Amino acid sequence: MDANSPLKASLSASRALKLVLSVNGRDHRLSLDPRVTLLDALREHLGLTGTKKGCDQGQCGACTVHVDGQRVLSCLTLAASVEGKAVTTIEGLALDESTLHPMQQAFMDHDAFQCGYCTPGQIMSAVACVMEGLAETDDDIREYMSGNLCRCAAYPNIVAAIKQARAEMKRSRK
Amino acid sequence: MSVQIKANGDMIGRAVPRIDGRLKVTGAACYPSDVVLDDTAHAFLVMSTIARGRISALDLTEAQAVDGVIDILTYENTKGKVHKVRFFALGGYTSTSIVPLDTRKIWHDGQIIAMVVAETFEAAREAAYMIRVDYMERRAVSGLDGRKPQPRAAAGFLSSEPGVGDPETAYQEADVKIDAYYSTPAQHHNAIELYATTCAWSGDQLTVYESSQYVYGLKNGVAKQLGIRPERVRAVSPFVGGAFGSKAAITPRTALVAIAAKRLGRPVKLVATRQQGFTVSSYRAETQHHIKLGADRSGRLTSLSHEGWEISSRADDYKVAGTDTTSLLYACPNVATHVNIVHADRSTPGFMRSPAEVPYMFALESAMDELAVKLRMDPVELRRLNDTQIDPINQKPFSSRSLIACYDRAAAAFGWAKRNPEPGSMQDRDWLIGWGCATACYPTNIGPAEVRVTLAPNGKARVRTAGHDLGTGAYTAIALTAAEFLGIPLEDVNVELGDSSLPPAPVAGGSNATASICNAVAHACEDIRERLARAASHEGALRGVDPAVIRLREGMLVGADKSEPLKSALLRIGFGPVEGHAKYTPEVASVPIKLLGHTLLSKGIPVLTVGTSAGNHVQYAFGAEFVEVRVHKRTREIRVPRLVGAFAAGRIVSPITARSQLLGALIWGVASALHEETEIDERVARYVNKDLADYMIPVSADIRDVEVILVPEEDNKVNALGIKGVGELGNVGTNAAIANAVYHATGRRIRNLPIRMEDLL
Ligand code: FES
Ligand code: FES
Repeated sequence: MDANSPLKASLSASRALKLVLSVNGRDHRLSLDPRVTLLDALREHLGLTGTKKGCDQGQCGACTVHVDGQRVLSCLTLAASVEGKAVTTIEGLALDESTLHPMQQAFMDHDAFQCGYCTPGQIMSAVACVMEGLAETDDDIREYMSGNLCRCAAYPNIVAAIKQARAEMKRSRK
Repeated sequence: MSVQIKANGDMIGRAVPRIDGRLKVTGAACYPSDVVLDDTAHAFLVMSTIARGRISALDLTEAQAVDGVIDILTYENTKGKVHKVRFFALGGYTSTSIVPLDTRKIWHDGQIIAMVVAETFEAAREAAYMIRVDYMERRAVSGLDGRKPQPRAAAGFLSSEPGVGDPETAYQEADVKIDAYYSTPAQHHNAIELYATTCAWSGDQLTVYESSQYVYGLKNGVAKQLGIRPERVRAVSPFVGGAFGSKAAITPRTALVAIAAKRLGRPVKLVATRQQGFTVSSYRAETQHHIKLGADRSGRLTSLSHEGWEISSRADDYKVAGTDTTSLLYACPNVATHVNIVHADRSTPGFMRSPAEVPYMFALESAMDELAVKLRMDPVELRRLNDTQIDPINQKPFSSRSLIACYDRAAAAFGWAKRNPEPGSMQDRDWLIGWGCATACYPTNIGPAEVRVTLAPNGKARVRTAGHDLGTGAYTAIALTAAEFLGIPLEDVNVELGDSSLPPAPVAGGSNATASICNAVAHACEDIRERLARAASHEGALRGVDPAVIRLREGMLVGADKSEPLKSALLRIGFGPVEGHAKYTPEVASVPIKLLGHTLLSKGIPVLTVGTSAGNHVQYAFGAEFVEVRVHKRTREIRVPRLVGAFAAGRIVSPITARSQLLGALIWGVASALHEETEIDERVARYVNKDLADYMIPVSADIRDVEVILVPEEDNKVNALGIKGVGELGNVGTNAAIANAVYHATGRRIRNLPIRMEDLL
């Protein structure tokens, strides 16, 4: 083999981990390197690219998903650690094909984004904030949404969207 | 083409939700970093850990032994494979003149020195950390020394150095004088989407999936780097996860990914880490300024001199030279400007949102506030007194200039009249309140653009152009324009952008895109109207009506009190869709651009007519910004509870997305004043806060009330549709308004950004 040509190699099967991930109500059988994060499992292995990678180190919130209803940074979560738990991503949030979740609709109504890259994470965090009762005041919303960075700086519109969705989510819970 | 392009329907300017919003809130929008192709191999970069010197040895043994590693690119196997392509600021394509993996030479810390490709991302990353590098290190120069600049030799043939009169004598004779130094720090764009590239070859055809502000530049530049014909390259970027200037020029990574994909015969995907992103693309370099203002007792400016110092790399002469703007902002008969470049062992800086205006206007608008204080004059009145409709340098009129209208609207909304000018006089319990203001302005740039519009027999339109939506609302603005000129509902317009297989559109930079592309769309629609009208004037309800008076309105052809449904007019023309095509050249373009603009555009070379090169006038958009800061009496914590900006930027095509841009920009201004700074370890010329925890940007809790006022403005000189562009207007001057407010709150004048609580202790 000449020195300039690519090396031959393949990932030995022995290191791969077999697991089943339940995402948006569907089970997926995967064989993964044990180091694969939930974020990369979703994006690179399951084709669920709605969940975004903005830092891969827990600093931006773009990768926020729900695991058993709790908000979680999927870049700081190993895929293997959520086996047996229910993962919900932005793709699984809409109520059905034609009806958006009230938070998704509110983000559209208030133009709560520009580039949209932080948006799935913002929406997943916002839904959890409302469910956790941490979005009762504007100050609370701003405080508890501060783990989700928006470089386009849509913050005032995001706060307005969360207020609209909060009301609707409460109404529909009754 | 000479047609009367006149918007008189009611679509342009209509407040509609972003048309791509649904894709964004459902996760369905496919950004380039989301592309997953079968059999993709994953790449990971290795960056230099010294800023200046040479690689003496590279040991790949351990890295190659990592399970799953397929290939490692270094200068040893890649040398000579990437052709040198001209730097974008010199009319080329690349973000730096440094050719990747070409030699052992190290130009800056964080330079790409190897790229590992493996079966998985995890294996590539593991191997990247196992490459052993020995360097011969030389002492590096990190940048400007100290906060007051040293005298330096003038550099730069690029400089226009605007000036007029005799500023030195006028300064000596002035009644009131300001002489001060200011500085702004290095900043990084830090778009939330990481720098990612996937390259896939199919035979000798390369597809590059990479977030881009200029897909034609990407296509043509990469082709040149690889020594292949541009037709062989396609660049795809339908959505962009934030750009702010960082994705306009080609960065060194792209060609490497393309080469790796070719060597392997399979797609290769690279996602640079957040840390690597600090040197993968460009940044806003730190600047220093020396400003001297002279005024008479009434406040009229008599002398203005502005000298700037900027950092560039050793490889390139890059400068933003904001004196082009600061020299013509106010009526002043005597002006001198000069800009110096200081070369350092750094990567090459580049565009970052309002590249020139953010640092240079900080200096001038801070100095203007200092002058107002010295004159005991209201800072708004000082701007009013020195406002001008004529560029003082070249004596050309502004095409339109609504600066004072912006001041009046914003001041009223803010409640400026209630301000007590005495520093420290306004307090609320433990907080000192400061109110400040400053001018925003941005040149109105515009370039040639090509658009194809098709109107199908069912009345649905397709608009195709290789423009870009960076979150700017381009999809929506373009759709509104087509709906306006075709007289069809917005839902019936489909817009395709961000693909170099579409007709060429200019770089999404310099806030030109809305003006350039929407004018082109109008012309393409006019092409369709003309054809339909001509055919309709021969038969049917509109028979005998002069085609020139026939308009497309609400799904009908109308003219001379007669009308005919659009669908029947379409059927008359034939079975397929009717196509309109336009190669729009800006009305204000110079003769060379008129002759060569479209040729250059199709080669991916940016050709913009800028605010100061638009023929017989100068063209700028203006705004006025007011802020309230609160400084805690004991801790000196600084908060910004309130911002009001009023902006006049000609015709606003899409008010909802324009407002969002201005809102985001005002918050960028807060970031510029109080948060952002790339910190440099001066001993080794290395960035130290290379992540989103240490590089400060505003979070939700930092921002409260932000109000954007769109001041109506008609301008029929800038272009037929009267569009100026808003993307970079809103974050100009905000930093100065905040510094001015901090002075008002505390009596402390902070001339070096960012302002941190320790500056106020
Ligand atoms: S990608 Fe997970 S927090 Fe940024
Ligand atoms: S919308 Fe661009 S980062 Fe939030």
